[in-house]
Amino acid sequence: MRRFSRMAGAVALGIALFGAASVVRAQEVLKIGAIGSLSGGGTAWGLATQRGAQMAIDEVNAAGGLKVGDKTYKPTLVMVDDQYTATGGRTAAQRLMTLEKAKFILGPVGAPVVLATISVTNPGRTIVLSDGYSDAVLKNAAHAAYNFRIMDSETEFARAMIQWLHRTQPQLKSVALISPNDATGQSVVPVLKRLYEENGFKVYTEMFDRGMQEFTPLLTRMMEQKPDLFDLNANSPGDAGLLVKQARQVGFKGVIWKVGGPAMPEIQSIAGDLAEGVMAYDQFDFSTPAGQKFAAEYHKRWSGTINAETPIWYNATKLLLEAIRRAGTTTDVDKVRDAVAHLDGYDAGVFGPLVWGGMADYGVDHQLELPFVISQIKGGKIVTLVKIQPEKR
Amino acid sequence: MFSATLLGQVLVNGLSLSAIYVLVALGFTLLFGIMRVVNFSHGAFAMLGGYALFLLYGKWHLPYLLAVPLAALGVAALAMVLEYLVFRWFYQKMMQSMIGLLGLNMALVYSAVLLWDVYERSIPPAITTLISVGGVLLPADRLTVVAIAIVALGAFWLFMTRTRFGLAMRAASQDVETAEAQGMDTAALYRMAFFIAIFLTALAGGLYAQTYSLSPFMGDRPLIVAFVVVILGGMGSIPGAALGGVLLGFSESFVSTFYGSAVSSFASFGIVILLLIFRPWGLLGTKEAMRA
Amino acid sequence: MTNPLVLKSPGTHAQPRGNRVGAVLAGLGAALAVLVWPLVWSNDFTLTLGILIAINLIGAVSLHLIVRTGHVSLGHAAFMGLGAYATALSLTRWHLVFPFDLLAGAAVPALVALLIGPLLLRLAGKYFVLVTFMVGEVIRLTFIQWSSLTGGANGLFGVIVPVPGLDSLLHFYYFALAFCVLCVGIVVRILTSELGRAIDSIREAQRVSECSGVPAIRMKVVMFSIAGALVGVAGGLQVYLLKYVDPSAFTIVQSLNFLIMNVIGGMDHLAGAVIGTVFMVVLPQALEQYVNVQQILFGLILVAVMIGMPGGLMDAVKRLRSLSRGRSGEER
Repeated sequence: MRRFSRMAGAVALGIALFGAASVVRAQEVLKIGAIGSLSGGGTAWGLATQRGAQMAIDEVNAAGGLKVGDKTYKPTLVMVDDQYTATGGRTAAQRLMTLEKAKFILGPVGAPVVLATISVTNPGRTIVLSDGYSDAVLKNAAHAAYNFRIMDSETEFARAMIQWLHRTQPQLKSVALISPNDATGQSVVPVLKRLYEENGFKVYTEMFDRGMQEFTPLLTRMMEQKPDLFDLNANSPGDAGLLVKQARQVGFKGVIWKVGGPAMPEIQSIAGDLAEGVMAYDQFDFSTPAGQKFAAEYHKRWSGTINAETPIWYNATKLLLEAIRRAGTTTDVDKVRDAVAHLDGYDAGVFGPLVWGGMADYGVDHQLELPFVISQIKGGKIVTLVKIQPEKR
Repeated sequence: MFSATLLGQVLVNGLSLSAIYVLVALGFTLLFGIMRVVNFSHGAFAMLGGYALFLLYGKWHLPYLLAVPLAALGVAALAMVLEYLVFRWFYQKMMQSMIGLLGLNMALVYSAVLLWDVYERSIPPAITTLISVGGVLLPADRLTVVAIAIVALGAFWLFMTRTRFGLAMRAASQDVETAEAQGMDTAALYRMAFFIAIFLTALAGGLYAQTYSLSPFMGDRPLIVAFVVVILGGMGSIPGAALGGVLLGFSESFVSTFYGSAVSSFASFGIVILLLIFRPWGLLGTKEAMRA
Repeated sequence: MTNPLVLKSPGTHAQPRGNRVGAVLAGLGAALAVLVWPLVWSNDFTLTLGILIAINLIGAVSLHLIVRTGHVSLGHAAFMGLGAYATALSLTRWHLVFPFDLLAGAAVPALVALLIGPLLLRLAGKYFVLVTFMVGEVIRLTFIQWSSLTGGANGLFGVIVPVPGLDSLLHFYYFALAFCVLCVGIVVRILTSELGRAIDSIREAQRVSECSGVPAIRMKVVMFSIAGALVGVAGGLQVYLLKYVDPSAFTIVQSLNFLIMNVIGGMDHLAGAVIGTVFMVVLPQALEQYVNVQQILFGLILVAVMIGMPGGLMDAVKRLRSLSRGRSGEER
């Protein structure tokens, strides 16, 4: 017993000394919370959030920290797993707000998760920069008081894309949509159906249970309808690649494109030669000088395909930190929120000058209008066809 | 709507599906039949088989027909470590095996996430030709999978029925205590059964990953398929697994093509539930006492 | 006196008086702690954890009822979902007031259990496991497909809680705790009653008890339905907390969680479900620091516990207790 208490005393002393030492550190820590899926179906996006944010934070710290007012802060990322469920998002948000006392949160992704998160962060006056394809993310009872959407949703990019296609390929008259039967699929398909019909297309839809990878029966079924165009819409990158490969293997000869989340590297890798000619929405053009610089920086730390949402989270983190700097405070959330909302014109180095929009669709200008590209696989390479800036509505 | 070409395509799709389903279910039914273990980490071993094939064929470019069995052998050999550390504590203990192996599944899958990242990779196909027979398209890579599945199934069947070891395993699956009483070394038997089961699973996983795509979460679907096929065919019955796989593959192909995916899911689940209620030992399983 | 809350009888001699008093004091202490801690140390996060423990505990002990009949259900979360949707629809569409919305939440899964129970409970253990898994999947698919009723994969949002004052998490905690105590009390009462004894005899030797005139299937169905009703109430409470219904909360993952809560804690004793629930709700949060490896750690912990303590954590507790009691010749 005596030995135990002596050891305990030594440990306590050690902890106290360590604590004292850390207080002496020159820079105060600025906690930037992040919520993302590190397990379950959304892990690819969760990692994109983590890595993009970490890249931005490391950049700021390498330059000496964030100067806010007359103090310099060390931004630090605190990432919490939401397990890609609504309950997980809510618990993660509460954990960040209550335990970590973070006032700024990046993420999450996925409409149910985002909606659950903002149901506690808006009353709790915490700023959230998220994704989430549902209109309710911005168009809600709280008027998105403290949350912003920092990535284009279907409403932003689909309209522009479909109009462009109708203009450049007027011979396409009918389109087939095969989508997963999950929250994103069920939100996105009605939006797309409406937009296609507005542009004179006949629309044929088919849903499948997420997790299934054998699409040949569905594709065979689709081909009976003889569509001119096959839209991969909200499918995950892996599923999109398989759909392209299997569609060509079943004999589909029409145009294939994707009005939905980025997937080009995976489509190319999985469908190989069969991916020739596929067009898709791409959130980020890695072939531009800015893109190459970003890719080089990423590959210093991680290998493999870069999930295209990574630069978006990098962008969001940079704009958040800039807003905090401009507001001159890390504690007055209203001031930072206003700084974020007035950040039009700020350029984080990846997407050009920032534009907030969305008043016409959501009643509040909290939608980041990110420029995007339509790319195509030509001769085995991903080529940019056209760059589009969504109209500010 | 029911044109000959369409029906032909449906049949071809169904065959391809069946081949994969049968392979995936074999290892699962073996473990349950002999050791009464519900292997919730079945999908994880399939996934490891996928990564092994990716390494041997995708990266090191070994000849395909060498890489496929070698990858499966590699995974099975490494898995013997897990047999010693984890599995052998759960033999004949169904409840504990479920939870424990669920934990093993999580550990394996998320270790894969840590090691190999989440993004989906693909294994290059062995052949890329598309054979056209009267308007019906037969992708050559799918045909290869069917061929390998038939060979594997045949070899396994021969092993179980024509060798002493196979006989021993079948005896143990019927009554382990009597088998022991007859002097069989059940521990060694279990190890052999485990090795073969994981070999088949990893083989299935490699082919699955090549046909579809490879990611740490790839194994979730093979696990559910294995469950359904084995229920259909009868837990512990190898011809049952073959029959179940073929039935599921063809019915999915047929129903999905003509009625869509949701109907197909409801139909297969509904049929399985009815089967479990009225004929729980499956189509080819042995009818045991109901109150087991 | 054999303790009806314990599956395997520890022996036939009476517990010494000292132990009895100790147990009662421990029980009182625990009850006091559970009631008082939020007043002393509360913040939104810990209160939410407490509420989640209370809600999940109802799910775990109701599954324990089913386990007592000798069957394991892998579809328990689907029944919770039925209760959640029933409550949410009562509040948004059918305009039922409290407590009828929660009663609907209890009634719907109970009815479903009553309907399918007689068919399913005839089956032996391993088949019952499989068929409940399938039934759970069918119910999940129905939630997602029947969009006009359930809101599809996006679920139902904007539920207005009919009980005033529940916006405060502190009040909600006591509200949930009250229901939790009620449900656990019902389970205890059943297990210690005539029905509970009959179920024990059925589980141990069904043919024999049937010969004594016990209507086995009927009793199992009753237990199954009560379990469904209780977990349905848990579903309703979750709707109150989240103010929405998300179908992805009622999949095989959640069903397995309930099972893990029972097995990890110890399937033989009701208290095992309590330990298991706390373990399952708190551990992921405790591991949150190791964000990228927490799933691996969690999986390894499950494996280790199942190997080392096949009887669950309660087993470990009992062993510790008997170790501390020393070799006084008392039979275990």
